[in-house]
Amino acid sequence: MAHTRPSITGIPHPPCTLATIAWVGVRELRDAVGTRWFALYTLAFAALGLGVSFVSAAGSGGQGLSSFGRTSAGLINLVLLVVPLMALSAGASSIASDRERGMLAYLLAQPVSRTELLLGKYLGLAVALLSCILLGLGLCGIVVGSRGGSLDASSIIWLAGLSLLLALGMLATGMLISVVTRRASVATGTAVFLWLALVFGTDLALMAGTLTFRLRIEELFALSLINPLQVFKMWSLHAIDSTLDVLGPAALYAVEEHGNGLHGLFALCLGLWILLPLALACVLFSRKGAS
Amino acid sequence: MTRRTTPEIARLPRLACLARASVIVATMAAPRGVWAFHQLADQAVDHAAPASRTPANAGPSARHEPGEIGRRIAAASPGDTVIVPAGIYREHLLVDKPVALIAEAGAVIDGGGSGDIVEITAPDVTIRGFVIRNTGIDLDKENAAIRITAPRAVIEHNTLEDILFGIDLREAPDSRVAFNRVGGKRLDIARRGDGLRLWRSDRSVIESNTIHDGRDAILWYSKGIVVRNNVGYDCRYGLHLMFSDDVTITGNEFSRNSVGIYLMYSTGVEITGNRLIRNRGPSGYGIGLKETDQFSVRDNAIVGNRSGVYIDGSPFTDKRPGEFTRNTIAYNDVGFTFLPSARGNELTDNNFIDNIDQVAIAGRGSLDANRFWKGERGNFWSDYTGYDQNGDGIGDFVHESQTLFENMMDKEPKLRLFLFSPAQQAIEFVGRALPAVRPEPKFVDEVPLMSPVLIDIPSRAGSTNSHIGVVGLVMGIAGAGVVLGAGRLCPLVALTTRLASRRSPRTTAGEAT
Repeated sequence: MAHTRPSITGIPHPPCTLATIAWVGVRELRDAVGTRWFALYTLAFAALGLGVSFVSAAGSGGQGLSSFGRTSAGLINLVLLVVPLMALSAGASSIASDRERGMLAYLLAQPVSRTELLLGKYLGLAVALLSCILLGLGLCGIVVGSRGGSLDASSIIWLAGLSLLLALGMLATGMLISVVTRRASVATGTAVFLWLALVFGTDLALMAGTLTFRLRIEELFALSLINPLQVFKMWSLHAIDSTLDVLGPAALYAVEEHGNGLHGLFALCLGLWILLPLALACVLFSRKGAS
Repeated sequence: MTRRTTPEIARLPRLACLARASVIVATMAAPRGVWAFHQLADQAVDHAAPASRTPANAGPSARHEPGEIGRRIAAASPGDTVIVPAGIYREHLLVDKPVALIAEAGAVIDGGGSGDIVEITAPDVTIRGFVIRNTGIDLDKENAAIRITAPRAVIEHNTLEDILFGIDLREAPDSRVAFNRVGGKRLDIARRGDGLRLWRSDRSVIESNTIHDGRDAILWYSKGIVVRNNVGYDCRYGLHLMFSDDVTITGNEFSRNSVGIYLMYSTGVEITGNRLIRNRGPSGYGIGLKETDQFSVRDNAIVGNRSGVYIDGSPFTDKRPGEFTRNTIAYNDVGFTFLPSARGNELTDNNFIDNIDQVAIAGRGSLDANRFWKGERGNFWSDYTGYDQNGDGIGDFVHESQTLFENMMDKEPKLRLFLFSPAQQAIEFVGRALPAVRPEPKFVDEVPLMSPVLIDIPSRAGSTNSHIGVVGLVMGIAGAGVVLGAGRLCPLVALTTRLASRRSPRTTAGEAT
């Protein structure tokens, strides 16, 4: 027998990799749900979502006309602001703060491989984020359902699913930051900086580029695919309202060029934002273990 | 009745055979009951005719050989009413005397995929109740289901299917086209024909028709037309006026076309009480006006288009201001698009509700030559931020539209790609906070209305969505369940791992120590 696997927190150790990951994940989920950031973000997300739903329900009344995409536009905007911040900071603080508190050394002393630990934490946080998104958007759904609004059931499911994809990507990126930085404060700072860059920086830079370099529409569209937030936004509009042409000539070009392939294109972009950072984080984290 | 499918018959000129087929159709047409009859008629024709299936290149002259209906017309005297019993008539029809052709239910004229189907060269002809289908697809020859070249035709209650051009009036004034359904061939837009076309057909009435999957419904050089209560969808232009004066367009619904109503070079047009919904695509205007003069646009619902109203060089002269009153312009990407050439329009008592860009100037230019209020009446703007302290229904502050991002979008439409993003809002915020970058107001409404002007829009059954409440509830419960259950999950995992570990020799050994 190479070594035994003693139990932490009264839970017997799991026998195989998947079970180990699940075990770490559940532990992480339990920790995450108990923290202040989770409560804060969930509350903020739900409150803002409720606000958007109420306001847009109020705006569409009176004339018997449904508002096309007003509620969904508001919710997309909200998700763009809150979900990446939530996911990035959750990911960034995960490994780094454990390392700072000495928890990482303790965990790694258990018969848990580094990859298992990372993936387990990722899964646990992902479920925590999912529950936060479900709570927030679920409340919006209830409000829209009771007060009348333009959103229908399938679009809120789309929105929740796409928000989760966005959260997964941002969480993976956050964990990559967490792996490469030494201190938790640096990791969080980097995450917030990246959030600012993704939410405002890249878009503003692209706008400036459009105006100064007279980017052609195909270039503009291709460049906008780099930003996962833009991808999420375009995908949501495409899936919910199927009116991507609301986004002007570049989007019209995209619809004409790719047609139904747009779903696949957007999925590919968001998928890369999930897989690449996660794989890189795994490699870097386990290499650290070797040294 | 004989069924001769001998080679001799096959060698006869095609239209003789067609005629023979029609005879058989007509003789079989005795039994009542539409469906049974359809089958019989089909059978009959199929028996008769290898010839009727031969490629239809008989040419326009041969086309006028009379078929069954043709012979009935030949036998009728001017002013007669010809009742056509149910049946499928595979013939091309020439109506050259003033008769009324009234179809019994189930009478179908099938053009066999070639040429025009019904040609009317005599005045005062009525065509009522037919199904007319399957024209040719020759855009150069403009193959039409019904072509009229004489005045005072009445085309009513017909169903036109699978046709290139639908109803084509050429110099047919005082005609009436009503209660027809015109469905084009599902061709690429460039290969389609016009569902309805009027050419120099003054004082005609176009009423309660449904036109879909065509190119345009178009009026050329026709004065005093009334277009009332029609429905048009999935076309290029729902209704298109070229050089047509004194036209009244009222109570129509045009949806999902590239453009709902497009007026060009026409004078004296009234557009009232229409619904223009979700006309998107390359142009995407609810109503477009190009060099149109002396028009008024009242009481329309203009919803969900790419641009609600698009104004280019209208009004063309300064005889009368362009009038836009009591329209509801809602949820369009752009409410009103003005080209710099648009001068002298007056907008009062309209509802501007949640258009992403309420009023835009395409390119550079100013809206100074247009007015957004008159006397004590302005418009309702859903983005008005002022209040009404004295309760007179008029906002106490002027409404100025000046948002930085809108300005940028008007100048560079590519920037629309960044709509709904936080970056857009950052720019709006900067525009509000820093006077240095605040744009000049696009326009000013000095007496903005505090509440929408209610207009009577017949609303289609609104989508009541109780489903979303349920979905929201389920999502909320699921989310809450994860949060609350997270603590309790641990024992569950403990249980499963314990069970799993029993089966695993490696860890069983570990447990044992």
